[in-house]
Amino acid sequence: MLVIRPLQQSDLEDLYTMAQRAGKGLTSLPADRDMLQRKINQAQETFNQRCAPEAGLYLFALEDTDTGKAVGISGIQARVGLDEVFYNYRLSVTVNASKELGVHVRTPTLHLSNDMTDTSEICSLLLSSDYHGGGNGLLLSRCRFMFLDEFRKHFSEKVFAEMRGVSDEQGMSPLWDALGSKFFDMEFIEADMLSGLGNKSFIAELMPKYPIYLPMLPDSARAVIGRVHGNTAPALTMLKAEGFNFNGMVDIFDGGPVVEAFVHTIRTVRDSFNRYASVTRKAIDLDVPADKRVMISNRSFRNFRVTTVPASCVGIDTVSLPPEVAEALQIESGDPVRLAPLKERSQAPAKAAN
Amino acid sequence: MWLVRPALPDDVNQILEIAGAAGSETARLSSTLPRQREALAEKIKHSLTSLAGKTIAGGPLPRFLFVLEDTATGRVHGAAGIDARAGNGQPFYNYRRDALIHASHELGISSRVDVLYPSHGLTDHTLLCSFSITPELRNTEAFELLSRARILFIAGHRDWFTQRVAVEIQGVQHADGSVPFWDSLGRHFFNMDFETADQHSGALSKTFIAELMPPHPVYVTLLSEAAQEALGQPHELTVPNLELLQREGFQAGCYLDIFDGGPVLEARTDALHTLVTSQLKALHGAVGDADDGGGDLCLIAAGDGAGFRCTLARAAGTLEGTLKVPVKVWSLLEKTAGDEVRVAPC
Repeated sequence: MLVIRPLQQSDLEDLYTMAQRAGKGLTSLPADRDMLQRKINQAQETFNQRCAPEAGLYLFALEDTDTGKAVGISGIQARVGLDEVFYNYRLSVTVNASKELGVHVRTPTLHLSNDMTDTSEICSLLLSSDYHGGGNGLLLSRCRFMFLDEFRKHFSEKVFAEMRGVSDEQGMSPLWDALGSKFFDMEFIEADMLSGLGNKSFIAELMPKYPIYLPMLPDSARAVIGRVHGNTAPALTMLKAEGFNFNGMVDIFDGGPVVEAFVHTIRTVRDSFNRYASVTRKAIDLDVPADKRVMISNRSFRNFRVTTVPASCVGIDTVSLPPEVAEALQIESGDPVRLAPLKERSQAPAKAAN
Repeated sequence: MWLVRPALPDDVNQILEIAGAAGSETARLSSTLPRQREALAEKIKHSLTSLAGKTIAGGPLPRFLFVLEDTATGRVHGAAGIDARAGNGQPFYNYRRDALIHASHELGISSRVDVLYPSHGLTDHTLLCSFSITPELRNTEAFELLSRARILFIAGHRDWFTQRVAVEIQGVQHADGSVPFWDSLGRHFFNMDFETADQHSGALSKTFIAELMPPHPVYVTLLSEAAQEALGQPHELTVPNLELLQREGFQAGCYLDIFDGGPVLEARTDALHTLVTSQLKALHGAVGDADDGGGDLCLIAAGDGAGFRCTLARAAGTLEGTLKVPVKVWSLLEKTAGDEVRVAPC
């Protein structure tokens, strides 16, 4: 059985293996033991409420209860931009017009911005490739919306996600080559890594502060602004289905889009409902397809746990749970639980990307 | 002989000819001399009003236009102007090239980042402009006379001008008419080719520049390589002009032309070489026309306002501090013995 739970000290090696296998694309989880240990410590302090709420970093592990190993991770940063300055480019338009000459020109322009400051970010999603499919990715990502919903006062009303932008197999990013590299005397990977390690002051020091007029960039760079990396396309599709939309902000290095949504409009939040647990000895076949399963959380802050059960377990007031599920969620009969569909009910295709 | 005098309404046709049919080499080299008859006629009219000292407060500021005449034929071979105040009461546009150091202490990185800032910094400087001359006279005495006569005019009418003088030098343009700086920057915002923009700039009010120019600073490193190379570089045909102005004491500062990225030269008015070395002298009794006086070739200017004349002649000083020149020079300058003239070594 796969269960979401807070990241804990014993996860370090599993995390390190995952980060190593993920390669260079994942900057929020570098394969660096010290860095990962710090993240674990931070997550532990957050769940135990030993740090200021706005400094919280909620990291969840997806544990395979059969092996006891962590096979995925996802997180929520309570607020960005407080410790380190948080940068994006805002994609906006400059209009130059002359009535006298009948000229009206629109120039797409990137403005350096700190607009996401003080907003909650969903981040750090990584699922071991052995566990792809079967709705595991959905559980790993969507459990966060259940947490956001339960503990709204710890987060901003709006949440966002930064999507990885376009780069090739060698890690070359067209936007970086056309823009960042002119100002940073280093490779994209190196810059991205420094940024991932939380070493962000160099951005303020080296980044161009004035707006960038897009017509001055080569076509290859303009084409990737607001576009996601091929590997990230499924994640974008999932977030769009939850109600996230491109908010006009892009990553300063690779041009990847920022998508955002108000917590109360997120699909998982809107479709959530409460029940009481009812542990039953009746045999229940847990092995049903993803679209026939629902997520179920124990509603605990310190020991937030989520797993999935067949939708058929859900009754009018209660949800029937086999003992092993109750054990995994660390609940007993009569405890309140909250549920939400794992997959969208209607499989209507997500609206075309803008 | 060569004579520089104020442009008159009758000169319109000849000046238009020099300004050139569109596409000719000369045409490319004159950016502020209007090529439309009406605009040019208006410019001459305004110059005459300015010369008469009749510009009114709150009205258009003084602008002057002079022509180079071959007195033997009466033909006009060149034109040159002065705007008392660049921008003529409106903003005068340039880019100011400046540098920022992007340095990271932590990473041990320090790099110089060049930025072009939209600027009105040269507004109200006195501006030498509208210089245009027939190609065969380039690099001749006449060329020098036409350009420097303006400085003598300024010297003789110092109150009309400000403390600093600027002159825009045409930037790099390829034989096919393309302008690398324009193509990399201006074209995106003005949505027109360089020729069109240049023509508008000579003819219309400058409002269109305010409306269409990119409002934020521009990073030089994001310009095309050709544009970066062209920054602050003169058009090859303007090199003689540039050198002449440098001898005059002009230096390229941080300002660039907004259309072609050409350099803008600056100088302190009172430090201009011709102005500093010029002297007021009384005309001395005549020597015969055949006799060149045995002196050195000089620029000699005389007359106020519309009476301003400037020519090149050999002249010799006398022990009494007067100036000995051939009689024909008297008549060119419309002066007679004892009258004061301003003379500068050539």
